[in-house]
Amino acid sequence: MAIKNPLAKLIIWVVLLIWGIAVIYPLLWTLLDALKNNEQFFLNMPWALPKFPLLWSNFSYVWTKYNFSTYFLNSIVVTVGSTLLGMILSAMTAYILARYEFKGSNVLFTIYVASMMIPFALALIPLFFLLNDLHLVNTWLGLILVYAALNLPFGIFLLVGFYKSLPKEIEEAAIIDGTSHYGTFFRVMLPLSQPGLITVMITNMLNNWNEYFLGVVLTNEPTKYTLPIGLAVMQAEMQYRVEWGPLFAGLLITTLPTLMIYIIFQRQIASGITAGAVK
Amino acid sequence: MKTSSKKLSRNLFIASFIIPTFLFFCLFTVYPVIQALQKSMYDWSGMSENSKFIGFDNFKDMFNDPIIWTAIGNDYFLVVGKVIGIMLLATFFAVALTRFRLRSAGFFRAIFFIPNVISVVVIGVLWNFIYNPQIGFLNAFLALFTGSKVDITWLGFPKHTIWMLLPPTIWAGIGFYMILMIAAIVNIPASYYEAANIDGAGQWSQFRNITMPLIWEQIKVSIINIVITTLNGSFVIVQLMTNGGQPDNTTHVMGSYLYRMAFQQYHFGYGAAIGVAILIISLITTLILQRIMRQETIEMH
Amino acid sequence: MNMKKWSTMGLAASMVLVAAGCGKTAAPASETTKPAASTAPTAAATAAASAAPTAAAAKKLTGDFEIQYFVGGYGDKWWKKVIADFQAANPDLKIKESAGPKINEQMKPRWIAGNPPDFVYIDGPELFDRQMVTDGLLEDLTDWYKDAKNVDGDKISDLLAQQPPQYDGKIYNIPFVLNSWGIFYDKALFKDKGWAEPKDFEDFMKESDTIKAAGINPFIHTGKYPYYINGAFLFPAIVSANNNDYKLLQDMANNNPEAWKNPAILKGLDKIVQMRDKGFIDKASVQINHTDSQSLFLQHKDAFIPNGLWLPNEMAKDVPQGFDFGFIPSITQDKGGKVVANTSTATFAIAKKAKNKDAAKAFMQFVFAKAQAGQWAELSGAPSNIKGDISSTKAPNFVKDAAKYLSSSDTVVVPTVSFAADVDKAMQDATVALTIGTITPQEWVKRVSDVVAKQKK
Repeated sequence: MAIKNPLAKLIIWVVLLIWGIAVIYPLLWTLLDALKNNEQFFLNMPWALPKFPLLWSNFSYVWTKYNFSTYFLNSIVVTVGSTLLGMILSAMTAYILARYEFKGSNVLFTIYVASMMIPFALALIPLFFLLNDLHLVNTWLGLILVYAALNLPFGIFLLVGFYKSLPKEIEEAAIIDGTSHYGTFFRVMLPLSQPGLITVMITNMLNNWNEYFLGVVLTNEPTKYTLPIGLAVMQAEMQYRVEWGPLFAGLLITTLPTLMIYIIFQRQIASGITAGAVK
Repeated sequence: MKTSSKKLSRNLFIASFIIPTFLFFCLFTVYPVIQALQKSMYDWSGMSENSKFIGFDNFKDMFNDPIIWTAIGNDYFLVVGKVIGIMLLATFFAVALTRFRLRSAGFFRAIFFIPNVISVVVIGVLWNFIYNPQIGFLNAFLALFTGSKVDITWLGFPKHTIWMLLPPTIWAGIGFYMILMIAAIVNIPASYYEAANIDGAGQWSQFRNITMPLIWEQIKVSIINIVITTLNGSFVIVQLMTNGGQPDNTTHVMGSYLYRMAFQQYHFGYGAAIGVAILIISLITTLILQRIMRQETIEMH
Repeated sequence: MNMKKWSTMGLAASMVLVAAGCGKTAAPASETTKPAASTAPTAAATAAASAAPTAAAAKKLTGDFEIQYFVGGYGDKWWKKVIADFQAANPDLKIKESAGPKINEQMKPRWIAGNPPDFVYIDGPELFDRQMVTDGLLEDLTDWYKDAKNVDGDKISDLLAQQPPQYDGKIYNIPFVLNSWGIFYDKALFKDKGWAEPKDFEDFMKESDTIKAAGINPFIHTGKYPYYINGAFLFPAIVSANNNDYKLLQDMANNNPEAWKNPAILKGLDKIVQMRDKGFIDKASVQINHTDSQSLFLQHKDAFIPNGLWLPNEMAKDVPQGFDFGFIPSITQDKGGKVVANTSTATFAIAKKAKNKDAAKAFMQFVFAKAQAGQWAELSGAPSNIKGDISSTKAPNFVKDAAKYLSSSDTVVVPTVSFAADVDKAMQDATVALTIGTITPQEWVKRVSDVVAKQKK
């Protein structure tokens, strides 16, 4: 439904534009700063444009000298693994909690939601000892399992909301058709919750990709660092002011993949699956 | 009519989906967290091998600690501010970018998420800059209107610096809730709106009568999520912009105070007690909220 | 988004922590070269090679030996070199280095589990000597230290400019890096404007009037890290007001309640109040971090800044042409009073549960030799704690100034005082509140004394 009132349309456009600028600017700023060399930073005019030649070399510098290529690989493996695992497990649990009554389902849901309320940083030390006993320190698998577990509460919380908002007729139709519970879930409900799933996927991906606090203790071998850890270490080594161009380049390398994934998938969210499927 | 074998297959189904995941979750999350929260009954520096059991002393100290009460107040201030700010703007954007058939809606949808993706560090540096008294953007902008130099120390107010933390957190949080609601809105069958259009209902009435009720679940989820994550996590921005509570502990939130106590002042036990407090406060707040919002749902239908 | 906030929290927090750590001894300090430095390289190789076997009394070290060292503003060049030399002298010893900017957090679980490294360099965030002593993590070195000799055969206690701190009369860690707090200004600017370099508080206040009239803020500090103004301004002020007796600070740090009633504290605080009331403190101070305050200082927006000797190095790339760092350890003394130099150190220690204490002690003897310690200044850009260390002809001006003060008998050199974490934080909070006028000096004392009273012995 289009807006007919021209004044309303104008106001809406202005608001959108202002907001658009407000959100693009920092990204642009990060990019511009990534292309500067040290001297330009120390002119203390952070809003100034970079001078030519633009230092695209800052990116390759960070990629090779600071081992960002290794960190990138680790981040990809850990993030993909944990996000997928978390997604599937969340969806399965959320579906049950939203659509099936059984004794204790409320308690279970409360436990999951409540665990979001705990500052997980406290659990760092016990978690380290746990992984140590399982010989999972400094491994991809260790991080994947921990991150997936951490994804569960929010994923379940969110997907329960989604599943609850889907009409009951869908399952009833499937059951009348004779589909098994498993079939109903995997072939009907899961696809229908795609927008919700994608939202969960993006959120979890973001969290897992950027996770730093646990990672730095659970992986102390530099070869196993993920990007955020590598970034923090690099920044600490550079003593906070010495190589800002590469620092921003590193920040961008860390930021861009999630942005790309979001841009690709947000289209799917927005187009959604119309309830034509219900009929 | 459920035969016993149908019941069995149903229960097996439920169990297979629920139990393995729950066990996995308990092992990697619940178990370490309980161990950590246990420490709230101990006096532990966070580094030594020994800890002394002191029962509820940490909690008694907490009750008498004025900073905790300031922190709780700040937390709720941020919660209310963020819920209002984020929900208003996010809903507006979600509706604008789905229902209004604007061109470039896709473009805006894509870029509005950027603040959520940018590292919080960049956000902190950026906003620190905006608020910088000498060379910051805000003072420069204001100076355009006053004609003379403005040098307000935005992050140095003796009592109200916490207000300044609201803009960055709202700005950084909107994108996510926006897509949440976009996802909800697109699930509404187009037929409902078509029917309403035929009936001659205006956009605002369509919003109130169709959109709102049908995305109410997601609105609830969003509000609760904002509450929980603010009570639990907003300390990142506090840490970045005020180095944990400056000036003089007026900007502490529970999370930043926990971090300082547990990791920087070597009172891990006390920090754990704060963690327990955060948990209890979040639970109570969420329960109350759910009760309030459930009534809203009833009224809506 | 709690997880995102947690994950990036760590990043943020670490940046904050590192920035904070940069302010303390972890930051790169002045480029002092020692007199021994120029002769050291050649002497070092031969000294180390020949000294080690003899000093160690031909006892070859065997087994495993692990060193934990934080890598911050001082870098790791010195460590790599010294450890390589030590390995060469002890080929049967398996040395493991646990090092990096995050090493303290990464090693924490080991300490908690009772499985620490043997030798530790106490510096950087999340590692604090006083707390480690309280937690019983460090080996008691009191007896060892009495007669300990370095690999050159010299008694270590004779060589050190500053003796190790004592906790209840016992020694657990030995200072290696020696730095000093003080007040910086630009000599070139002062010369240009015809301003005199202040020698005491009265001068300072008078000059500040002139400076303010000329449109420049006299004083700036970092409100986000109040330990700067505490270290470089308040503590020297207290010592000066206490007749130059620094034992007061040590008593305060030992949580002695009587010490906290000493009127010298109020007198010291009053100096801050005087500065504040005359509008000498840059209003922006309260909300900026150390690098911002330092930038403003370098741009001549402010004339004086409290800081440590690492300042010029830390801001090396930022320093405008012609800037000439002037340094005076304190300007809070009364007219004709002595300068007070409040030092800060980074120390070495041995874990109580170390598995190879022999190797750790041998390493201690190794690094405190002129050869090794001499290389510290070259390779890290900071002064070491070996006597006669700080003066040199090739050193920058402010280092020579610092050296002159530190070796002068007219300077009160205060051995490093470390307060309990709670007390330190209370002092920082209170000082910021004092600078913006929300509390009075009496309230400052009351607040901090209350926290002191709660400290357990």
